[in-house]
Amino acid sequence: MASRIGIISFAHLHAHSYATRCNEIEDIEFVGIWDDDAERGKEAAKTYETEFFASRDALLDAGLDGVIVTTENARHKENVLAAAEAGVDVLCEKPISVSVPDAQEMIDACSKAKVQLMISFPCRYSPAFGRALETVRAGELGEILCIKGTNRGRNPGGWFNDLELAGGGAVMDHTVHVVDLMRVLLEDEPCKVYAEIDTMFNPDLECDDAGLLTISFEGGCVSTLDASWSRPPHYPIWGDATMCVIGTGGNCWVDLFVEHLDIYRNEDSSYVWGPYGYNTDTGVVRDFARCAESGEPVPITGYDGLKAMEVALGAYESARTGQPVALPLA
Amino acid sequence: MLKVAICGAGGLGASHADNFQHIPETEVALVYDVIEEAADALAETVGAAATTDETKLYAEDIDLICVTTPTPFHAQYVIEAAEAGKHILCEKPMARTVEQGRKVLEAVEKAGVTMMVGHVVRFFPEYAAARELVQSGAIGEVGMVRTTRINTLPGPEGSWFHNYEMSGGVTFDMVIHDFDWLLWTFGPAERVYAVGVPDHMPPLDYSLTTIRFESGAIAHAEGSWADLGLFRTEFEIAGSGGLIKHDSTGMATLTVQKREQQAGLAAVQVPESPGKSPYLIEDEHLVQCILEGKQPDITPQDAQDAVALAAAACESIEAGGKVVNL
Repeated sequence: MASRIGIISFAHLHAHSYATRCNEIEDIEFVGIWDDDAERGKEAAKTYETEFFASRDALLDAGLDGVIVTTENARHKENVLAAAEAGVDVLCEKPISVSVPDAQEMIDACSKAKVQLMISFPCRYSPAFGRALETVRAGELGEILCIKGTNRGRNPGGWFNDLELAGGGAVMDHTVHVVDLMRVLLEDEPCKVYAEIDTMFNPDLECDDAGLLTISFEGGCVSTLDASWSRPPHYPIWGDATMCVIGTGGNCWVDLFVEHLDIYRNEDSSYVWGPYGYNTDTGVVRDFARCAESGEPVPITGYDGLKAMEVALGAYESARTGQPVALPLA
Repeated sequence: MLKVAICGAGGLGASHADNFQHIPETEVALVYDVIEEAADALAETVGAAATTDETKLYAEDIDLICVTTPTPFHAQYVIEAAEAGKHILCEKPMARTVEQGRKVLEAVEKAGVTMMVGHVVRFFPEYAAARELVQSGAIGEVGMVRTTRINTLPGPEGSWFHNYEMSGGVTFDMVIHDFDWLLWTFGPAERVYAVGVPDHMPPLDYSLTTIRFESGAIAHAEGSWADLGLFRTEFEIAGSGGLIKHDSTGMATLTVQKREQQAGLAAVQVPESPGKSPYLIEDEHLVQCILEGKQPDITPQDAQDAVALAAAACESIEAGGKVVNL
């Protein structure tokens, strides 16, 4: 049976990719959209040839197996709680939330309502990461000693620069993906984070746009992560996600979004990267839809979301105090 | 004609000796090493006298001493050389500790001789060009700088490089190149936080250093002696007005493949960018400064600042990550 999926809000640009995936994947019936910005929601419904619902309750009551929440970060909570109350499984955009108590409340509410909460970490579905994981798990790199990670991007602008709605700037936006990959790769938890964070590229911003984190793991692995919005507006691609992994038995590099065609256009004298290869959102949406329909446990949990977000919050704390911060946060 | 004595007949001693042979104003007169065979071998190559007697370095006819010993011995030879009134080329790092470095500075200043430390990265055209662009304001205010320097573990089995006490590992020995370039380009550093794995040497060392500059710029310096491939470097500088990137991989203007004669060996491919060697330009700069009585662009204080930054990074690494203020 097809999995009946809805989307709450197109505030986050990833909603467009998820909507496209919902239409592409055979076992999904894209039931509809609700958006607190009705005009935006109606436009999206038209683009993706699905129904616009006049209220969130109406969407959640439409016999959904699962709902995708792609609001602004700070509004994840109210929408996840509403889905839990309606008994609908949720795929929540990263970061899970903007504070540990909010995230915990979301996890608890879903658990109490026996609703599954999945966090969207598409990088886990990269075939390159998959192969790196196999290589590490097979012991081919020996003990993993160090990881150098980057998740740099252009400043996405809009509500991402609003501290109320986003809960932070670049560090809130770009810490969680690679931290999640590190947790999976190491099967270990971060125990300490140090960070230099500031507003460097656009002095008019109220949020940070430069962040460099050093993260130590319980088992001894040490890592850094550049979470900056350091790509200029005309950079040929939105950004990157990379890891350099140093082990006692060897090293590996993953560069998740490097596959591209160089495209030079006369029309606007532009040079851009045309990505090709596997779309990692497909894996996320397909797994979520299947689990929501079948009741199988989702592969990426709210707890995973919380642990990744906690590193970003710890990083802000470190930048405030000028000292490394112990994790988990007290 | 400047008469040069090579003090330490290892890899860099040989490299500088070769450079001085190509500089018309210099002549390699003496090769000194505590290992007789090493001194003899290099001396024969360059047509100089060989010695294991340190005092010969300070003889009347020597004008310039090139200190290319293992790092912990740099300070003592440089101080002796300065006291003997010799000009000095010292390989990086100038000293193994900040305290040693301070003594070197005092001795050199007191003697009034010319000393330059081999922070050769300044003479690599890509690093020089990037610095010029930054200083011309091409990318506005600098926010985030990333440097990468990747090598295999240097030296044969049992090499002094593998002894952390002696070399300071990848951070002190190799990332100091980037530390010097960063200080030269972005000004004084305020604090450092670093992590690394010198305990794993041999077979490997690796470190990741965060630096905050007084200007506000943040830098990340990666150093690897864990690699199994070709030596390579990268840097990128992100500012309010744009981004500068360089990756030595892919910048080779010439690649030569040679099919080995012996069966079973894979083809060997060596990418390179032929041009005037930065090492030769470095030595020419020093010689020119000595002849004209000028201070070389790399001052003793610059070299000491690099030692201090590298020592701070090592202190942070040894503590498992701590903030070290400079």
